[in-house]
Amino acid sequence: MSFLAPFYLLLGGAIAVPLLLHLLRRRIGARLEFPAARYLLRAEKENSRTLRIRNLLLMMLRIAALLAITVAAARPVARWLGAGHGPTALAIVVDNSLSSSVVVDGRPLLDQFKGMARDVLSSATPADRVWLVTIDGHVRGGTPAVLRDEVNRLEAIAGAGDPTTALARAASVVRAAGLEAKQVALLTDGQRTEWQGTPSIADAQVLVYVPNARPPANRAVTLAEARPTRWTPRGSVAARFLSHDSTTYRITLNNRTFTRGTAAPNEEVVVHASPPERGWLAGTVELEPDELAGDNVRNFAVWIGSAPGVNGLPSAGPFVKSALDVLRSSERVVDGHDIAVTGADELSTLPALITAPLDPVRLGAANRALERAGIPWRFGTRRAGDAAVRGAGFEGVNTAVRYDLVAQTGAVAETLAVVGRDAWVVAGPRYVIVGSSLTPDATNFPVRASFVPWLGSVLTERLVGEPGQVLETEPGARMPRPRWADGFETVDGQRTPLGDVLEAPSRAGTFFLTRNGRRVGALVVNGRPSESQLEQFSAKDLSDRLHAARTLVAPDASAWSSMAFRGAARRSLLETALLVALILLATEAVLIGVRPRRMA
Amino acid sequence: MESTRALRADLFDPASLAALGRIEIVARWIVDGFMSGLHRSPRKGFSVEFAEYRPYQPGDDLRYVDWKIAARSDRWVVRQYEEETNLRASIVLDVSRSMAWSGALMRAGASGAAEPRGRDATTVAQLTKLEYAERLTAALALLLLRQRDAVGLVRFDERIRTAVAPRARNGQWRRIVASLEEPGAGRASSAADALSQAARLISRRGLIVLVSDLLMEMEEVQTAMRGLRALGHDVTVLHIMDPAERELPGGGEAVFIDPESELSVPASIADVRAAYKKTVDEVIAEWRSMFGGLGIGYEIVSTDAPFGVPLRQAFAARQMLP
Repeated sequence: MSFLAPFYLLLGGAIAVPLLLHLLRRRIGARLEFPAARYLLRAEKENSRTLRIRNLLLMMLRIAALLAITVAAARPVARWLGAGHGPTALAIVVDNSLSSSVVVDGRPLLDQFKGMARDVLSSATPADRVWLVTIDGHVRGGTPAVLRDEVNRLEAIAGAGDPTTALARAASVVRAAGLEAKQVALLTDGQRTEWQGTPSIADAQVLVYVPNARPPANRAVTLAEARPTRWTPRGSVAARFLSHDSTTYRITLNNRTFTRGTAAPNEEVVVHASPPERGWLAGTVELEPDELAGDNVRNFAVWIGSAPGVNGLPSAGPFVKSALDVLRSSERVVDGHDIAVTGADELSTLPALITAPLDPVRLGAANRALERAGIPWRFGTRRAGDAAVRGAGFEGVNTAVRYDLVAQTGAVAETLAVVGRDAWVVAGPRYVIVGSSLTPDATNFPVRASFVPWLGSVLTERLVGEPGQVLETEPGARMPRPRWADGFETVDGQRTPLGDVLEAPSRAGTFFLTRNGRRVGALVVNGRPSESQLEQFSAKDLSDRLHAARTLVAPDASAWSSMAFRGAARRSLLETALLVALILLATEAVLIGVRPRRMA
Repeated sequence: MESTRALRADLFDPASLAALGRIEIVARWIVDGFMSGLHRSPRKGFSVEFAEYRPYQPGDDLRYVDWKIAARSDRWVVRQYEEETNLRASIVLDVSRSMAWSGALMRAGASGAAEPRGRDATTVAQLTKLEYAERLTAALALLLLRQRDAVGLVRFDERIRTAVAPRARNGQWRRIVASLEEPGAGRASSAADALSQAARLISRRGLIVLVSDLLMEMEEVQTAMRGLRALGHDVTVLHIMDPAERELPGGGEAVFIDPESELSVPASIADVRAAYKKTVDEVIAEWRSMFGGLGIGYEIVSTDAPFGVPLRQAFAARQMLP
């Protein structure tokens, strides 16, 4: 037992009053003339034993009553007795991850969690501090009534959330409350893939509830991807499904179904398409709804435009010409003047894929052409000798002859490949520069199998249309704002300016990134595919993973509700102490006898 | 009945009645009221002579209505009888210091706000036992004298203060009333001497009425009473008690001091009240037993009871009333 207001225990000194009255009663009191004093003396003599016992009993009753009142004033709390609960800092962590939206026994699991959270909030007292923490780490504070409204508005997010962060924040807020009783009450489905971390919660008790119900068999879309992300205008959609048997799917683009089909379990389906739409579009791969509806849809984004017209100049070399023929035959590009592929010395228009001049004597002309085009890069010192190229898609590529790429003031570019510490391929707005001529005596890149796809990617993705791209992320994730975007367009078309940090919405979907009001890219928000693997930890296993000061496992929902607050807080003995004091005083009154209202 | 009660001074609140006048006046009112309220004569028969008529009052026994007069004159009158008597009575009044005490303050402190409106503490039985006893004595003497009895008075504390021999003549009552106003309130009560003196004042068998709070030694009283009974006297004891002496009201701690013996007893009133009341009941029972064993009438008279009550208590049983 402990006391919330121990200073009031000093009132216990008041027990000296009845003690002194009892011990000194022969020496204090008024002097009253009373002729029948002899009767009084006789009464005391004849009843001395009874009176002594009675006085002793009265004294003890009064002392006990004073002690009970003193204890009540000090607001006692104890674990083993009492009613209600003492002031508690309680953070309710509700797992509203994608997997918690699974329907069990005809009811979403999250609805059960919300009901339990509301019950616990209803039992909060004004002395309690309460918070609601969702699995994505968002902390909401306020009165129980406010938090009940928050609970009512709670929806499942599209991803797994961040349980470790959520628990850490819950522990942090209850610790900062400064109350003795601290509890983190966790409601989760115990999804294994979600609880891979080992959250550490020092000096706070964790109350865990994991439903015992076995999760249903789940079907999910685990992959939805446009290949490539820029279609000119042909492309394909790749999809994969989690299912125990064959499943039918539907693929939509810009809210239009363009294909349906049946897929075998874990089979990757690739659907080719050449849609008539143009621009940045949103698409989905969908399954028939099941118990976990949140993962039956997966989003993707694609840019669709006409095949760019490419003008391959002789200065780019013969291998480039051959590669362009291949791309033309596959309708990735057409003849035209949208994009130039040229040696730097013959550069006249942008956008362009620019290679180093074939003849070193043309270096000066090349740099002047770059300057005229406004490109902040120059060819520098010529380097000869074999050197390996490093970069994505450049595996096995070497150079024999190359030029240093020298950045000029204000150069903003993306380095796609390096040789040693020097840039070899850089990309900027509407240009890509290669530090060697694309000939076999300068580099083996043109003769490698990766050359044609790379060239196609550069021509159809980097040098055509807007400079943006597709960003894929999970719900609630935060990332730096991409340089090429300044705005954000929601699903319903509302646009907001972007800050320095781009925070993904908590719901899945395709959201477009804009620049100067035009779509330049997309943010595709999908849940983690592993969330669809409905395997859960038992409450015991999960509690073992939590590094908490004390962990309580609620066997069922009602137990969780009753253990919240009480598990951590000591129960108040105030009412008990007052009741004891009342009983003692009533006993004393009975012992003394009811004072007659009037004399006979 | 209410109008009748209002006219009868013997049924008034004693303190209120005492505040209206001097002893003799109050005593006359008491006796007049008492006489008017009598329902029947306990001594009717051949030895009782008709005395006079008086107007009928509500409460009168219809047997004494003179129906002939009622039939003739349409006036209701009752017959009153006068006893031929040769009774000699002596009233022995205790005027010791213990009698000069009122428990009004104790009772006022106990009742507090519970008292009805219009009755503050100062009007609650403010008569001391002695004041009450003096008025009772005066009324008793007047009552006896109106019966043509000879009445005397002995006042005593630690010694005999007054001794008025029994007489039935005119002026006797005034002498008695004058004697009641003499000083007293000594530190002790010597009832034995007073009772012996009273017996000496009555030359033949008569009635002795002891009016006292009986805060004295029982053995001495018993011895004296036995002597009086041996002489053939009828004896009646009116035990005057303040209600506060019966109930021990109030609360808190106090040192209780006997004004006569200066005996001091510290006590917590609430704690000892029950035992005290039990003891008082025992004491009363002892007195009653002792007096009963000697054939002596014994009545408790509370100072908040109307004077008519003790008068009736004292004499109804002895059939001494007209």
